[in-house]
Amino acid sequence: MFTSNSQDDRDLVGRARRGDREAFTQLIVQYQVPLYNMALRMVGRPDDAADIAQEAFLRAWEKIRTLREAPFKSWLFQIAANLCYDHFRRGRRYGAMPDEETSNVIGLGIATPDPQEQAEASERNRLVRESIQALEHDMRIAIVLRDVNGMAYDEIASVLRVPLGTVKSRIARARAQVQERLQQYPDFFLREDAHAE
Amino acid sequence: MPSEPRVPTEPSLEELSAFIDSELDEAAQARVAEHVAGCRDCQARLDGLRQTAHAIRGLPMESPPRPFTIPAQRRQSWRWAPAGWIGSAAVALLLVAVGIQNLHLPSGPAATSRSTSTVSGGLAQGAGAQKGAVAPLAAPAPASNDQYSYGSASRAAANVATAVDPTNSSRRLVLDTDSTSYVANGKMQVTVQLIGSPSTSLNSGDQGLTLTLVRNGVGVALKPVGVESWNGTPIFGGRYDLASLPLSSPRDGAYRLEATWVVPDGSGRVLQASVPVTITS
Repeated sequence: MFTSNSQDDRDLVGRARRGDREAFTQLIVQYQVPLYNMALRMVGRPDDAADIAQEAFLRAWEKIRTLREAPFKSWLFQIAANLCYDHFRRGRRYGAMPDEETSNVIGLGIATPDPQEQAEASERNRLVRESIQALEHDMRIAIVLRDVNGMAYDEIASVLRVPLGTVKSRIARARAQVQERLQQYPDFFLREDAHAE
Repeated sequence: MPSEPRVPTEPSLEELSAFIDSELDEAAQARVAEHVAGCRDCQARLDGLRQTAHAIRGLPMESPPRPFTIPAQRRQSWRWAPAGWIGSAAVALLLVAVGIQNLHLPSGPAATSRSTSTVSGGLAQGAGAQKGAVAPLAAPAPASNDQYSYGSASRAAANVATAVDPTNSSRRLVLDTDSTSYVANGKMQVTVQLIGSPSTSLNSGDQGLTLTLVRNGVGVALKPVGVESWNGTPIFGGRYDLASLPLSSPRDGAYRLEATWVVPDGSGRVLQASVPVTITS
C-alpha cells in the first residue's frame, strides 16, 4: 500500500509548512517535469499544461499547511488532476492538439544528422499522442499516470481517489483503445518491434 | 485414469494489462504467466498491450515552456479579505512576471551555480522496493573531471554537469559541451552519457532523454543522436550548427543547455543536468 513520503519529501514539506519558500522551490524543481508532462498529455497544449502546473504549485503552496500524512506527490498530482478536469469542464480548447511545429520545445530546432529517423520518430509520437487524446478523460488520466509518470496502481488510486480495481480496469481499457487506434496504421507496431530490438 | 493437465483460466484484459505492470498478486501473476506460455492467442494479446505501453512510455518527456514560481506571500481567501487578496494577487503577478524575466528554466535553488543537476523521482516499482519512495533531491554537482572516449579520441570536457541517482550511485547523467561560449554561426558539440542506464538503446525516445537549449523560459529542442556505445554506456549528442537553430532575436546571450533523463525503468525517476552556454556575435 502506498502510504509514505520519502524522507526527503517529508523534510521539505515540513519546512514548507513552516513557510520556507526555498524548501518549496526544491519541491517545484523535483516535480516540475513529471507534473508538467502529466498535464501536457492530458490537455495537449503546452501553454495550458504550464498554466495547470503553475496553478497546482500555487495551490499546493497555499494549502501545504493542511497536508498531514498524505504523500506530497500524490497530493500534488491530485490537485493537478482536478485542474485538468476543471479545464475540460470549461471546454477550453478541448481535445485540441498542438501541431509539432507550434510547440516551443519539441519539434523546434531539430538538428539531427538523420532527418529520416527524426521524421519517423516524430510521426510515431504524433500518432501515440493523438491516440491518448482520443481517450475519454477518466481512462486518459489513468494511463498517463501509469505510462507517462510511472506511478504504481495504488498511488494512482490515491491520486484519483478511486478503488484499485477501477484503476486496473481504466488502464487496461485505455491500452486496448490506444492499441486499436494504432493498429489502423499497419506499419506502427512493425516499427515498434524494430525499435524494441 | 490420469487426469487431464489443468489449463489455467484464460486471463481477462485487466489481468493481462496488470500482468505487464507486475500489479497482480503472486498467485495471479503465476497463473497468467502459465496460461500465456501455452496460449498463442493470449500471447498475442499480451504482446499487443505490451507494445502499446512501450509506445506510450517512449513519448519524450518535455521541458516546461516557462519556470514555475510561487509568490512571496500566500494568497488569502477572497471571502475573508478581498482587499488583501487583491494585494496578494498583485504581488504574485509581479513576482511571477519578474521571475519569468529573470529565471531560466528550470529554475531552482541551484540556478546560480555554474552547472546544475537535479534528481526527481517517481515510484520505485521493482520487487522489494518500497512503493512510493521518491528520490531525494541531489545536491548540485560541481563540474567533474569525467573523461570519456568519443569515437577513437579522448578529450577532457570543457563544460560539464553531472546528476547522480541518489538511490543508485552507479547511475549518472553526464552532460558536457566542448566550450562554454560559441559564436552565433559556430558549432556546439554536445555529449550526454547515460551511465548505468537499464537500456542499451541508442534511440533517445526509448532512453527518455531530451536535450533543450533554453533562454528566458523558451526552449529549443536538440535531437540527441546515439553516437557511440562503449562499455555498455549509451552515449548521445551531436555537433549542432547554431546558425540553423530557430533562436529568437537577439540570438546573442546567455542560455542553459539542459538534459532531462527519465530513467527507462518505469520508476518515473528523472535526472536533470544543465550547463551554461553563451552565444556571441
